[in-house]
Amino acid sequence: MDDVLTTLGTLLASTIRNATPLIFAALGGMFSERSGVVNIGLEGLMLISAFAGVVGASLSGSALVGLGFGLGAGLVFALIHALMCITFEADQIISGTAINLLALGGTGYLMVLIFGSGGTSPRVNGFKEVAIPGLSDIPLIGPALFNQSLLVYLMYVLIPITYVGVFRTPFGLRLRATGEVPEAVDTAGVSVARMRYYGVALSGLLAACGGVYLSMGILSAFTENMTGGRGFIALAALIFGRWNPIGAAAAALLFGFGLAVTFQVPQEAIPIEFIQMLPYVLTIVALASFGGRAIAPAAIGKPYRKE
Amino acid sequence: MSEERRGPEERRSPAFLRWMGNAAGALVFPLIAVLISFVIGAIIMLATGNNPIVAFGALFRGAFGSPLAIGRTLLNATPLIFTGLAVAVAFRAGLFNIGGEGQFYIGAITAAVLGVYVGSLGVFGMALALSACIVTGFLWGAIPGFLKAYFGAHEVITTIMLNFVAIYLATYLALNPFRSEGLVPGTEAIDLAARIPFIGAGLGRANYGFVFGLVAAAVVYLFLWRTKRGFELRAVGLSPGAASYAGMHIGLNTVLALAIGGSLAALGGGEEVLGVYGKMSIPFVQGLGFNGIGVALLGRNHPVGVVFGAILFGGMISGAQEMQFETDVPLQLASVLLAVILLLVTATKLVELIAGKRARAFAGARLEKGLGQ
Repeated sequence: MDDVLTTLGTLLASTIRNATPLIFAALGGMFSERSGVVNIGLEGLMLISAFAGVVGASLSGSALVGLGFGLGAGLVFALIHALMCITFEADQIISGTAINLLALGGTGYLMVLIFGSGGTSPRVNGFKEVAIPGLSDIPLIGPALFNQSLLVYLMYVLIPITYVGVFRTPFGLRLRATGEVPEAVDTAGVSVARMRYYGVALSGLLAACGGVYLSMGILSAFTENMTGGRGFIALAALIFGRWNPIGAAAAALLFGFGLAVTFQVPQEAIPIEFIQMLPYVLTIVALASFGGRAIAPAAIGKPYRKE
Repeated sequence: MSEERRGPEERRSPAFLRWMGNAAGALVFPLIAVLISFVIGAIIMLATGNNPIVAFGALFRGAFGSPLAIGRTLLNATPLIFTGLAVAVAFRAGLFNIGGEGQFYIGAITAAVLGVYVGSLGVFGMALALSACIVTGFLWGAIPGFLKAYFGAHEVITTIMLNFVAIYLATYLALNPFRSEGLVPGTEAIDLAARIPFIGAGLGRANYGFVFGLVAAAVVYLFLWRTKRGFELRAVGLSPGAASYAGMHIGLNTVLALAIGGSLAALGGGEEVLGVYGKMSIPFVQGLGFNGIGVALLGRNHPVGVVFGAILFGGMISGAQEMQFETDVPLQLASVLLAVILLLVTATKLVELIAGKRARAFAGARLEKGLGQ
């Protein structure tokens, strides 16, 4: 019985750790897509921030400075995406693809320049687990949920904040309206471009938290292409959760559970590849079943030009 | 009125001039994008203490400096012709095929598995394996088309998701049922007789896959501009409403365009296995499908442009190796430059700023449809 509890506890803790970067990136993607800008560059934003975080931490020896570097890099690359999509009216899918390629090539290039070789960076000071007194003593869920790094607690707090921010504040109303009927927002005297810049910038900052958590919360080093498709799983969670913060977080938890299980189940039982493809298959099924209609923000993917 | 009195020769000439004008206009913006990316590359090199003239010299020599270099460039360009065409065909039907990466993997695993069994048949086995790639790629590519046409699921998202499904599926097949006895994880090596032969002529390891790529580009051109079905595809892409009113079946053309794209990208994967690696080892080469998007856009989704775009991308890759060898510039700079080209090539407003309003018509195409529809 104790064995079962220990296994469950490990699985739960692993689910949280795997879901955290997905939740950050999915919440980020939601801000961008709710404002009407598709962001398939989440993968690249996470990767570049994971790298910048490690660079910052290795230069300063401090994990918090690393986080600062990561946030900065995420913001800069998100703003490149915003500049291309909003100001220069480039195709949003292509710009996102380019951001992903840029992050992959750029981090590979900078790895050689900064750390002397590709592959894996030297170890840095990452975020250590901090047990919350009291809560971490609860059996089973205590150690799993409340003995995690600060970034995980930040994620817990951000889910309700994002929900309230998007559905209960004037900012959220304008953001959603920008993604649905930009003409109306424009008529009301609010700048569509500015709202979209806010949305994309927020997606960069949130994806950065996810990236930094990967390189400095789960590991304490950067490995080339360490995101390994997590940005796309986050995108899948966002769609599976119907562009809603709670739904996206729940989907990310489900996918995080899937990832956690892959480390626990022996290859003979279910081939690991079939568990790995699950998030993508589920998203395709979900998209097909809700018909893709009237679910995504109506003006998503379209540049807005004032008449 | 005077139109009618002119001879056929004379009537053709303004159209021909217009065509030349369009071709020149079509070239301007991709060239500007390439130039800007080189300037950015030079700035990066200067910032990291390298001489850009020396580095770009090495890049150029590595890409086109000798028959061997040209051979490497053609070898690198070959899969990109196929994955570029895969994007271009779908794009002409108004669809965005981001699924090239997965379709490439489907083709690679098809050729790797079948190649082992039909390897003893020599050239006939090769033809058989490549034909099988066309079939599996077609079926795999049809999935997002079907989901779009009958369930309204947007092809951008489904093709992205299917990439991962394909990669994991191919990985599973190569590592489990079809794993070789050897130490390297992956499938068994295919009989040399069934590999795509080298071109020779001092071009090193460049193989006839490049020629197959040129043939595929020609076939795509003839299909899109010289057949009724190709006309329908383009009509659906240009104006779905009008095409539907004219009695064309939108759903059928959607499925067909994505399925043909799947066949083309899968041929690219099969060509890599049969021409370059001789088997599918895990991890297999990555990014060729994604780079096909850049190739197609740079080539303005025209088969001829795709071939030139692929040669440019291929040259950047082989040149970057020479650059890293001769200077301190890491070869990953090439990926950075390619990403910058991709970033710039559809920036409509940027074209206006640089080349004036008239050039806007020539800027990279943009899908004005929302993802919500």
